[in-house]
Amino acid sequence: MTARRVAAPLLGVLAAVLLLLASGGLDTVSAPGQLGPAFWPRLVLTGLLIACLAKAFEEWRAPERHGDAARTPVARGRLVAAIVLLVLYVLLAPRLGFPLATAAFIASFMALAGVRAPLTLGLAAVGATVTLLYVFVRLVYLPLPKGAGPAEELTLALYRALGIF
Amino acid sequence: MSEIVAGLGVGFVNALAPLNFLLIVGGLAIGIVAGALPGITMLNAIVLVLPFTYLMGIVPALLLMIGVYCGGVFGGSITAILFNIPGDPMNVPTAWEGYAMNRRGEGQYALGLAIVASAVGGLVSALFLAFLAPPFAKIALGFSTVEFFAVVVFGLASVSVLGQHSMAAAFVSLFAGAFLGTVGTEAQYGVERFVFDVPFLRTGVDFVTVLIGLFAIGEVLDQLAAGTPPPPATRGPRTVPRLPVRALWPLRGSLARGTAVGIAVGGLAGAGATVSSFVAYGLEKQVAKDPGLFGRGHAGGLVAAESANNGSTGGAMIHLLTLGIPGSAATAIMMGAFLIHGIQPGPLLFTSQPEQVYTIVAGMILANVLMIALGFAAALSFATLMKVPAPILNTFIVVFCFVGAFALRNDMADVWLTMLFGIAGFFMRRWDLPIPPLVMGIILGPMAESYFLTSMVAHGNDLTVFVTRPVSAVVLALSAAMLLWPIIRHVRRA
Repeated sequence: MTARRVAAPLLGVLAAVLLLLASGGLDTVSAPGQLGPAFWPRLVLTGLLIACLAKAFEEWRAPERHGDAARTPVARGRLVAAIVLLVLYVLLAPRLGFPLATAAFIASFMALAGVRAPLTLGLAAVGATVTLLYVFVRLVYLPLPKGAGPAEELTLALYRALGIF
Repeated sequence: MSEIVAGLGVGFVNALAPLNFLLIVGGLAIGIVAGALPGITMLNAIVLVLPFTYLMGIVPALLLMIGVYCGGVFGGSITAILFNIPGDPMNVPTAWEGYAMNRRGEGQYALGLAIVASAVGGLVSALFLAFLAPPFAKIALGFSTVEFFAVVVFGLASVSVLGQHSMAAAFVSLFAGAFLGTVGTEAQYGVERFVFDVPFLRTGVDFVTVLIGLFAIGEVLDQLAAGTPPPPATRGPRTVPRLPVRALWPLRGSLARGTAVGIAVGGLAGAGATVSSFVAYGLEKQVAKDPGLFGRGHAGGLVAAESANNGSTGGAMIHLLTLGIPGSAATAIMMGAFLIHGIQPGPLLFTSQPEQVYTIVAGMILANVLMIALGFAAALSFATLMKVPAPILNTFIVVFCFVGAFALRNDMADVWLTMLFGIAGFFMRRWDLPIPPLVMGIILGPMAESYFLTSMVAHGNDLTVFVTRPVSAVVLALSAAMLLWPIIRHVRRA
C-alpha cells in the first residue's frame, strides 16, 4: 500500500523531469542578457519536482492515509458509467448535434443517478433541451454544435419548428 | 470636504432620476445573472452592454456599466455557495468556504453574509472613491510591476492556508496549476510553450475550463460515485437567504480587513478583484483565531473574500477617474465608453466636469445599496433550485458546464478540457490533493510571471529590486512569514 502511495508523487517527479527536458527547446529564442520564455516554466517545474519529492517522502513516512475523502467508498461501476457518459456526450455532440446529444445525455445521466420514472426522464430531457436552445441559441446567439450530415438537417428542422431560425 | 458633499448631493439627484435609476437597477440585474452563470463573466456582460451605450449620454452609459460591474462581481458568489461553481475566478475563495457552509446546512447564512459583505465592501470603496481618490491615486501611481509581483506572491503564499492535511500536497497542486498557466503562446517572446503540436493549446488552457471542471464536474462525479447525500439545505422546505445583520457584528474585523485589502489591491492598476479576494482570504487565515477551520466553512474567510472583491471596484475606479488609467479590465471598457463620448478621463475630469464625476460616484454608492435587495432576490431564485432532487440537479449542472465551456470560444476543445479537469477533480478529491491551490496557480501564476519578467526587463535582471523597494520588501516578507510559519509550527510540534 505504501509503495502505491509513494508511486503517485514519484510519477509527478518523472513528469516534472520530462517537462523540464522539453523546455530545452525554448532557449533558442531568448536574447543574451534576458531571462527568456523558459525561465518561469523551469522555476515552476523545479518547484513541482521538489513538492512531489516532499510528498513522496511524506507518504513514505506516514503509516496511514489521512483525510476523509479517501475513506469514502467508491461505487466503481457507477463512476465508470458516469465518466463514459461524459465522454460520449462530448464526443457525440458535434456529430449528433447539441439537441439530440443533450436530450440523450440528460435521460441517461439522470437514470444513472437514480431517477427511474420514464415520464420524469422524458420530460426533463425534452423540456430542458428546448429551454436551453431558446436561451442560448435564440437569445444569446451561441452557435451550439448542430451535428453532421442527417443530424444537422434534423437540428435545423428542430430550430425551425421551435422558431429559433 | 464641503465641496465633495455638495458634489455628491448633486450626483445623487442626477443618479436618482428615473432613467438613470432604472439603468443602475438593470445593470445590476444583468451583472448578477451574468456573474452567476459559469462561462459568462462580468467582463463579457460589460462588453455586451457597451454597444447599447452608444446612443446614451456618458452618465447613463456609465451608470449602466457600473451596475453591471458591481452586480457581476457579486453574482458569481451565489452559484459558488449553492453549487460549488464560482461564476468568476474572484469567487473561488467564496466557493471554498461558502459551499462548505452550505453542505453543513448554513447555505442561507452564507448567502446572506455574501450579500451584505459584498454590499458593505462596495459601498465603503465607493465612499473612498468620493472622498480620498486624488491622494490615493498619487500614492498608487508610484507602484510598479515590482509591487504588483509582491502582491501576487502574497496571494500565492496563502496556499499555506489551503494545505489542510499536507503542505506538500498543496504545493504539488499549486505548482501543477502554475505549470498549466504556462501552456500556450508566451506573450513577451511569442513562443509556444508545451503545446506539443496540439492546435487548441496554442491559446493556452483557459482557467474557466479548469474552474468549472474541477469544482462542478468533479463534485458531481464525487457525489455520484460516493452516493453522498445532497447538502442539507436541499432537503429543507424553503431555502430563503437571510440577511445576517446582527451576525455580521462578530465578523466586523474580517469585513474591515477584506474591504481595506479590496480598496488597496483594487487601487493598484491591473490587480483587480481576483487578486484582492485571494489576498484578503490569505490574510484572514493568518489573523484568524481558528485558522484550522478554513476550507471547512469559515464565515470570516467568506466575508473577507466577498468584501474584498467588491471593495476592489472603487479602487479600480480611482485610477480611471483621477488618472485616466484603467485599474482593471472592466474599467478599461468603461474608459472606452468615455472616449466614445469624446471625454478624456483623468486629473482634469474632477475640475472640468465635476457633476458627471459625482453622479458616477453616487451611482456607484446607490448600486451597492440596491445590490442588497437585488442580490437577495437573485439568491432566492437560485436557492429555489436547491429544492430540485440531486440526481436531476447534478445532470443539469453537467449540461450547463458543457454550454458554459463551449461559450468561452465556441470550441469543443474547451468542453473536452472541462470534462477532463472534472475527472481530474474527482481523483484529486480522492487522493487528498487540494483543488484550490491548483486554481490559484493557474490564475495567479501567469500574473506573477508577467510582473516578474517585466520587472526584470525594467531593472536589468537585478533581483534585489524586490527587497530594496519598501512596499515590495514588506509584502514579500509577509508572504515568507505566511509560508514559513506553518512549517516552523510543524517542526516545533514534532
